[in-house]
Amino acid sequence: MQPHLKRVIILLVIALIAFIFIRSLIVPDSFGQYGWYRGESVIDNRNLQVGYAGSSSCGEENCHKTIYSIWVGSRHKAVNCEICHGPSNDHVNNVRIMPEPANESREYCGLCHFERAARPANFPQIDPETHGENLRCAYCHNPHKPWFV
Amino acid sequence: MKISRREFAKTGFRVIIGAAVSSTIIESIVTNSIAAEVSPGGGYDWKEHLWGYVVDTRKCIGCGRCANACKLENHVPFDEPVYRTWVERYRVLKDGEVKIDSPNGSINGFEDDIPAEEIKKAFYVPKICNHCEIAPCVQVCPVGATYETEDGVVLVDYDYCIGCRYCIQGCPYGARYFNTEKRTADKCTWCYHRITKGLLPACVQACPVGARIFGDLKDPESEVNKILDKERINVLKPDLGTKPKVYYVGLDREVR
Ligand code: HEC
Ligand code: HEC
Ligand code: HEC
Repeated sequence: MQPHLKRVIILLVIALIAFIFIRSLIVPDSFGQYGWYRGESVIDNRNLQVGYAGSSSCGEENCHKTIYSIWVGSRHKAVNCEICHGPSNDHVNNVRIMPEPANESREYCGLCHFERAARPANFPQIDPETHGENLRCAYCHNPHKPWFV
Repeated sequence: MKISRREFAKTGFRVIIGAAVSSTIIESIVTNSIAAEVSPGGGYDWKEHLWGYVVDTRKCIGCGRCANACKLENHVPFDEPVYRTWVERYRVLKDGEVKIDSPNGSINGFEDDIPAEEIKKAFYVPKICNHCEIAPCVQVCPVGATYETEDGVVLVDYDYCIGCRYCIQGCPYGARYFNTEKRTADKCTWCYHRITKGLLPACVQACPVGARIFGDLKDPESEVNKILDKERINVLKPDLGTKPKVYYVGLDREVR
């Protein structure tokens, strides 16, 4: 073999080894584990913090059993506690951490109940101007059981 | 042996390219044979699930609690106009004009700013990432920082994303946004951290009227399958061939 060819082949082999070496340094270990992405990232995504605990964890023994049992039998049973009370997983894990106080304004109930043209007609809606004489809704309705009146 | 400069360059490039290609092929064969058996583990086997989502637009009351819960659960910058899920209001006026809006993604609800007499029909349409089977955002990502999991969820690798925003351009549904806090692209994960623990996505749990339904397409008894088997369903922009896994009941022709 001619010497200049030999030199080139050696150069190519070095380039190839360098390529494989640098690639193994740069590309993370779990890349390509499941597909063309970093497999570890799936775990990262799974390990994010949960914020909403779910209503059933409010109703556990020694917790808000009474409110829960009233609520379960009410027209508001589809309105989960944390819709009004905010994400409370931290509170469930540690009762010293209190959730934000619930929004008691007329506007908050109105997000669901004020009359709106685009709402399905069979959903219970009220005229914000006339209904309830501008009093807080909770003055007449119990938010945990709206027909307590 | 005599070799011209051109000849030499040609062979040289062939050898380099050949070596690079074959090494990646070998590597992918090796890793794929591993991947065939394993799942990320932790008491959850992603081979047993394929998640799906149904939106019943006929039930939506536009309260926006879904969009609000999503932002809080996933720490989406609250005061910026970016949303992983939002609710659109469609109003077809009597003169034929169609008005579409979504003030603050519906988080503060909707005000009636057009007199009822002028409206022919009006309805709300919740929107969310479609977790397409053939996802344009995954195809355009230059670094493999977004991908579809085995259980059918399109996720972002926040450590690997270089923030080039290609995927945001590529998504035909406008479901992606740039997260200025993380400095990466971001999107709905169907609350992957919740569904892999047996919880519902935050938006589904927040819906007071059951307009959002989530479940396992591999389970014939799941709530989504019961609806898919019974109702007349459609997806958004079916002509694009992205094969969305968010199915709509009661979709109007005006909805895009
Ligand atoms: C429709 C909104 C709404 C829902 C749903 C709701 N709450 Fe409330 N809750 C409120 C409001 C508003 C207040 C404060 C007004 C008051 O004192 O009655 C409150 C007060 C409370 C209080 C403190 C006051 C007291 O009576 O001791 C507790 C505890 C509570 N809620 C628990 C729950 C639990 C548990 C659930 C789910 C089973 C729930 N709430 C669901 C709106 C709601
Ligand atoms: C997240 C949405 C939401 C919020 C917020 C909300 N509600 Fe409701 N409310 C509902 C749903 C859903 C129903 C059940 C409707 C049905 O059964 O068709 C309901 C039912 C009711 C009913 C019974 C209506 C009927 O015809 O029987 C009353 C009264 C009521 N809510 C009052 C309130 C009050 C007062 C508040 C504020 C403390 C409030 N709601 C907040 C969603 C909401
Ligand atoms: C002064 C007491 C009072 C106040 C304050 C009040 N309500 Fe009522 N509400 C009633 C009574 C009484 C009824 C049943 C008779 C009726 O339909 O008007 C009722 C009925 C309703 C209904 C059922 C309507 C239907 O058509 O099924 C809803 C929903 C409702 N209220 C929501 C609210 C909301 C939201 C607020 C706060 C913005 C509120 N109420 C404030 C007394 C009150």
